[in-house]
Amino acid sequence: MDKKHIHSPRLDTIAMVENTIKKSKEKLSKTELWKKLPKQMMYQTFSTAIDYLVELKKIRLTAEGKIELILEKGKAKVWEKETQEGIQEKKSKIEIKKNEIKEGKKEMKINAVGLDDSAKKIVSELSEIERKTLKVLAEEKKELSVQELSEKTGIELDSARRAIQWLNEKELGKARIEKQVFVSLGIEGLKAVKDGLPEKNFLKELNENWKSLSEIKSISKQEINIALGNAKKKDLIELKKEKELTVKITEKGKEFLEKKTEEELILEKIGEKELEEKNLNEKEKQVLKFLGFRKGFLKHKEKGNEFISITEKGFSANESIKETRSSENLLNAKIIRNYNIQDPVEEVYPGKKQPYYKFVDEIKQKLVSLGFKEMENPLIVQEFYNFDVLFQPQNHPARTWTDTYKLKKPTHGKLPEKKIVETIKNAHENGGKAESMGWNYEWSEKIAEQLMPSAHGTAHSARQLVKGIEVPGKYFTLARCFRPDVVDATHLIEFNQMEGFVVGKDFTLRKLLGLLKEFAVEIAGAEKVKFLPDYYPFTEPSVQLNALHPELGWVEFGGAGIFRAEITENLGIKEKCLAWGLGMDRLAMFKLKLNDIRELFSQNLDWLRKGI
Amino acid sequence: MPTIECSKKDFELLVGKKFSKEELEDVLLGVKGELDGINEDELKIDIKETNRPDLWSVEGIAREIKAFIGKEKGIPEYKVLKGKRKAKIDSNLKDIRPKAAYAEIRGIEITEEILLQIIQLQEKICQSFGKKREQVAIGVFDLDKVKGNVKYFAAEPSMEFIPLGFSESMSLREILIKHPKGKEYGKLIEGFEKFPLLADENNEVLSMPPIINSDTSGKVTEQTKNLFVDVTGFNQKLVDTALKIMCMALADRKGKIYSVELDYEKKKLISPEFKKEKIVFNLSEVNELLGTNFSGKEILKLLEKKRLKGKIKGKKITVEFGNYRKDIIHPWDVIEDIAIAFDYNKFEPEKLDVFTLGSVEEKSTQLKEVRELCIGFGLQEIASNHLTSKETQMKKMNLKEEFVEIANPVSSNWEIFRKKLLPESLDFLSKNKNKSYPQKIFEVGRTIELNSEKETGVEEKWKLCVSITHSKTNFNEVKSILEAIARELKMKVKLKEAKTSFLAEGKSALIEFSDGKKGFVGEINQKVMQEFGLETNVSVIEIEI
Repeated sequence: MDKKHIHSPRLDTIAMVENTIKKSKEKLSKTELWKKLPKQMMYQTFSTAIDYLVELKKIRLTAEGKIELILEKGKAKVWEKETQEGIQEKKSKIEIKKNEIKEGKKEMKINAVGLDDSAKKIVSELSEIERKTLKVLAEEKKELSVQELSEKTGIELDSARRAIQWLNEKELGKARIEKQVFVSLGIEGLKAVKDGLPEKNFLKELNENWKSLSEIKSISKQEINIALGNAKKKDLIELKKEKELTVKITEKGKEFLEKKTEEELILEKIGEKELEEKNLNEKEKQVLKFLGFRKGFLKHKEKGNEFISITEKGFSANESIKETRSSENLLNAKIIRNYNIQDPVEEVYPGKKQPYYKFVDEIKQKLVSLGFKEMENPLIVQEFYNFDVLFQPQNHPARTWTDTYKLKKPTHGKLPEKKIVETIKNAHENGGKAESMGWNYEWSEKIAEQLMPSAHGTAHSARQLVKGIEVPGKYFTLARCFRPDVVDATHLIEFNQMEGFVVGKDFTLRKLLGLLKEFAVEIAGAEKVKFLPDYYPFTEPSVQLNALHPELGWVEFGGAGIFRAEITENLGIKEKCLAWGLGMDRLAMFKLKLNDIRELFSQNLDWLRKGI
Repeated sequence: MPTIECSKKDFELLVGKKFSKEELEDVLLGVKGELDGINEDELKIDIKETNRPDLWSVEGIAREIKAFIGKEKGIPEYKVLKGKRKAKIDSNLKDIRPKAAYAEIRGIEITEEILLQIIQLQEKICQSFGKKREQVAIGVFDLDKVKGNVKYFAAEPSMEFIPLGFSESMSLREILIKHPKGKEYGKLIEGFEKFPLLADENNEVLSMPPIINSDTSGKVTEQTKNLFVDVTGFNQKLVDTALKIMCMALADRKGKIYSVELDYEKKKLISPEFKKEKIVFNLSEVNELLGTNFSGKEILKLLEKKRLKGKIKGKKITVEFGNYRKDIIHPWDVIEDIAIAFDYNKFEPEKLDVFTLGSVEEKSTQLKEVRELCIGFGLQEIASNHLTSKETQMKKMNLKEEFVEIANPVSSNWEIFRKKLLPESLDFLSKNKNKSYPQKIFEVGRTIELNSEKETGVEEKWKLCVSITHSKTNFNEVKSILEAIARELKMKVKLKEAKTSFLAEGKSALIEFSDGKKGFVGEINQKVMQEFGLETNVSVIEIEI
């Protein structure tokens, strides 16, 4: 491909040139016209456009070299018509001839006009941010900083930076990094602004009487010679050598003390706000240079900023992109650009489950596969279910086995049918139908009606026992529980318990241990289990389940026990109910590799998206 | 769960055996104890047994373990010598604090460690078993400063004495207002015209139960030789139990227990009284509950390890226990002790071979479907708390509403239950402003509203909240999602124009589904954006599901 091609103007370029000529009130020379164009273009391209217009008899060049419009009635319309035809002609030429149509789809590749093959390839591979950048640069016709670029294109700063880099590599833009040097005050500089310059302080100490140098305190030994030299040079002091060097201030010196020195002025200026060196005037620069020699007065910091301007190649690329766009519209076809497969791409995130909920879903799934039925788990329950059904006496330490929340509004709920309430009352007062002495006190309905956020998942088992159960049966629920606690790395005021019970003929403590072992192996992936005696007000015997985790060693994994006979027998359940609860939160923490329980409910979007 | 701090040496002295750390961990299982910390001589032991205050002291733990390791067996015996002192209990205390029990402990050599242990036990019993002194309050006095018989009576609030730790006398009323303990526990006797007071024959005040002892007889030091123990409360059984537990610990320290006669006007009691109680049940219940094959003899041996005494007669077993144990009210309470004495880890776990069909709740299935849909839209699921603040739910949302409210919140960050999910999602977005956009999140969760017709006075509703933020998001973007959800759930959705305090006018709507469920959709208005400190447009959907 010869070089000429690069400079062939496109139709809208020609139209732009013609319009500029039409709008101009005076006749312009070729160069003047070029400068007046609303959009910058290469001179050679411009020349070609002019030649074209002359050929079309739209304009002519006068003897003085000025351009003159040939205006005839009706001519303009013809021109328009020609132009339309021209477009059509061009379209069909470029597109259909050069591109393959794939599998009958209306998709085609479009090559840039006026660019050589490698350039065309580059253009076809431009990403959206590069295209946007080129467009803005072409419009602005000046160098832009990365910040300006981001502002004008609406792309993020990071993307703008990438675009600059890529366009520079492709020679469509010219990137420049400008080092900006900022000056701020060092420790000595700060001191000088606060307490005055040492040389001034030195002068302040002097008076008309001769004073020996050893009496001078305001200036260090290192600086005294410089100070003396400078002051002497400016006639601010007089020196006399007796036994030792003595010094006194001159009239000029006194005047000097009255005024602020240039050094002081600039130090104050810098003290207010760090300055960019290049923004200072020559004089200031000079002063600053000398201050720079003095130790600790100034600090210099370099910051780099990126700038980009468009190259000629960039202009052509932009033009060809524009054309591609208009031909897209004309042909109503979908364009595929070629990709540089190594280019970094935008990071996207899939829709995902919250990690903790995902974990809970898996455990639920496991329990269902083990034959467990899910129970209801309201957030607010009557104390009746949280305590009374579970045989935790009112006004007794067993009731405050854990701290619980109470409600301010509403305060009381309704109890179930009278028969059940009577049953629970009897269980508490005298053991009811069970072989038990009960708690020997007067049970109050009013207390049982009180509402509270459920403090343990067993409240929902209690509710299920009252509602009725199937025997044999296996039940579970994932309960949200609430306890007033100080929130820290190991405590939440809201936490989850996986809670439930199994009921069946001839169930025993050994079978409970068997169930717990199954949980530990199936759910926690534990290698070994250990059972510790435990206490729950509603089970007897009670067990704590510890599991040996491959990474964490022995951890407490759950609590369990056999529901007290006072509970089951009074509700007409003859078989033993083996109740269990698993600490989900702790298990989730080690599954998700968290050290802080609060992170289970993390508000960090990046952690949710990417796990970091 | 009480945590007992004690000296390892002191503990070993009481048991009469030295323990390695591992051995200690093993034997503590016998008292449902767990070693919470060991630092040279200092031990920290968690006692999980909330119903056995007799174990909440180093003496109590040592007493139980002595039998557990076979150094002693059966029920511990405590001898009560007949004392001369009487205590008159005023019937006017009926509503204020009617019950009391007393004992004398003589000839005890009090060391610093013993003093610390007495105070610890007293504190643990009062706090936990005594429900922060409401049910049980204990006072320990220098017996040699108590003259003659004592009287426990309802006193005029103007009466004065010098409370412990003070140098001037104060009236009872003043103590409630000024003394730190008066401020802390005053509510237990507030509102009565008279206050409980314990004084001796010379009208020297011992204590103002359950608030504070006097600075005279109430001061117990290492020089004190003889002690007077006072327990007050509302239930004679609880009060007696607490007194016995104190006496046992002091007797374990070689003190001699002397009785005090309680004169309740209508009846007289001797305090303390150590007796044995018993429970009878079918021997077969043991093996039935545990799934074991223990012989009668084995069972009797295991009982002795837990300071119980059994007798078998035919198919029945009678188990005796000290009347300080108020936790035994059913045969299973004893059977658990048998299992602990045997060692839980020696039982062979048995597989539960029962087949049942598992299932999730109906609602769970629907929730799962909605969550999966949202994930299909590319939304990230988030989880927020049910408890939240009025600040987030109301103030920032520009709303005035009523909420289900906590009576005893720990902090104003968690004082109400959320009524909408949206404020929590906006809060989430406000914390992620510097993360890359677009941000698209959702939460499926429960909200609670007041509803007096419901069983618990509240209605819990499952809701879905979708929030999308990026510079170009708008009403149409979320409306599309809303319609897709409705289509998938096979519901019709109707939109109505509406004004809300948090959505932008003209860019939002109220939603009504064909099944009556409600919600809202639209762009967040400027005021609420500002309240949450959000800068990039946010459009949202919140619907009941």
